[in-house]
Amino acid sequence: MSKFFADLVIRTDEARRAFETHPVVLDAVAHGMPLPRYRTLLLELYHVVWHFNPVCAAAASRLTDSHKQVRYFLYEHMQEESGHEEWVRNDLEAVGVPASDTAGHTPSAFTQALVGYNYWAADRANPCSVLGMLYTLEVIASVYGGPFASAIKESLLLEGERGVSFINSHATMDAEHMAELRVVLNTLEDAPSREAVIGAALVNFHHFTRIIEQV
Amino acid sequence: MTSPSLRALAEGGVPAALDRPYKYLRLEWTAELGMLRVRTCVKPIQCYSLAGMTELQRMLDDIAENPGLVRHFVLSSDVAGVFNFGGDLALFVLLVRAQDIDSLKMYGRRCVDLVWWMETAALRGVHTTVLVQGDTLGGGLESVLPFHKVIFERSAQAGFPEVLFNLFPGMGAWQFTIRKAGFAVANDMILSGRLYTADQLLRRSLVDAVVDDGAGEEAILDVVRSVEPKLRGTLAALIAQRLAAPITYESLVQAVELWAETALTLTTRDLRLMERLARAQVRKAGGAGEGAVEEIKRIELDTAWGELRGGNTGFDEERGTGLTAWGAL
Repeated sequence: MSKFFADLVIRTDEARRAFETHPVVLDAVAHGMPLPRYRTLLLELYHVVWHFNPVCAAAASRLTDSHKQVRYFLYEHMQEESGHEEWVRNDLEAVGVPASDTAGHTPSAFTQALVGYNYWAADRANPCSVLGMLYTLEVIASVYGGPFASAIKESLLLEGERGVSFINSHATMDAEHMAELRVVLNTLEDAPSREAVIGAALVNFHHFTRIIEQV
Repeated sequence: MTSPSLRALAEGGVPAALDRPYKYLRLEWTAELGMLRVRTCVKPIQCYSLAGMTELQRMLDDIAENPGLVRHFVLSSDVAGVFNFGGDLALFVLLVRAQDIDSLKMYGRRCVDLVWWMETAALRGVHTTVLVQGDTLGGGLESVLPFHKVIFERSAQAGFPEVLFNLFPGMGAWQFTIRKAGFAVANDMILSGRLYTADQLLRRSLVDAVVDDGAGEEAILDVVRSVEPKLRGTLAALIAQRLAAPITYESLVQAVELWAETALTLTTRDLRLMERLARAQVRKAGGAGEGAVEEIKRIELDTAWGELRGGNTGFDEERGTGLTAWGAL
């Protein structure tokens, strides 16, 4: 049987490129964003990050022993990601959004759709689908996060890591995560799990594109 | 843009054997000449994406499965100012960060399969012509070198920038450049990462003809019309030419394997340089005047200032023209 990671890359390649080549994403990577839109993006991102570990936990609780390697992977990953929503909150404060505004922000319908789908997929569809969410978010962070952070720093004249610490650090950190994710994805041998991961990755690319499109 | 004379020649639609609903290719058929005209349009970033390559390979397979139908294959780009940026840089970054050598090799082999088809096109009774009307970098340049006739419009620029981010062009650049232009030119081009104008490439015999901007379409027709009456003899000669200076599929695959292994050693700094290029491609796709070519100039300035200041290119008329001989533009 072929290695699943390669299959996942191929079958989600058009979705990745659809994200990458969306006019709003193209413009953001090339020229950054005006401050109000960047604030909105971070506010939406805050909710994605805030729900990341609960989604992983929901999936871990549903995984059977036949996929215990995925469960252990999720335990470790949740440990590493724990508290990262605070990084987003710090970046928001750095660009002028007080913590009270962040806490009171209602995420857009697109963010709710992304988060809601991931809970549903982990709980009702196939818990391995959580790996599709991880794949999408780590591709976006590790491949596009660096150039996007550079563009934001240039366009908003931010100094150092102020205001971009979450995106910039994940661009580097998720590079290591990506290698670890490839290893665990290649342990998946059953077709239903593989299809669940691919399906979830496609939905996550789609919804994440909509989130950026509307900010 | 299709010229009026080409448009007048185009009769009816593409033959059913070749007609598929492509997303990244635009096909035109000229029955009188047995000419299949293919324009690539991997918009907005024109590169060798997995999906684009899959369509290209399917179309070439269709030609191979219908011998005698296509006598002339002509390739160009449908994206203004860009022939091809080469590899999908974002995909490379993804695969390198995932340390996925299997997928890197798979991608490389797909590229090799495409250049190999062009290398062996004469054996299938097909004469190949490519028109380059804009920037073509790395894999984009590699992909045109096996064509029988390579036409550049004057403003087109090309080169192998991979060495700037610690990689090398691994899909036939060495083999095809050495065969067309010699070892010294291949060394100079690949190891320097410099970019070249169409005229500079013509002087190095990598390009067969340079025409003024806007004259490329007529140049294609001139080539095809001149080859058509002597097609069998020309193809036989081209087969013999490749027997005289053979390139093997195995050597192409070996280079790809080395390329994939080298890619895995890229550092964060190398990947950041690759991302700078990717960002520049994005700016160009967004309509900016400056793109990857200008970014390569900046990367060279950042990383290799002084190394090539003498501008010793081995070509007397280009000496002392600066870091990348841009003074000669």
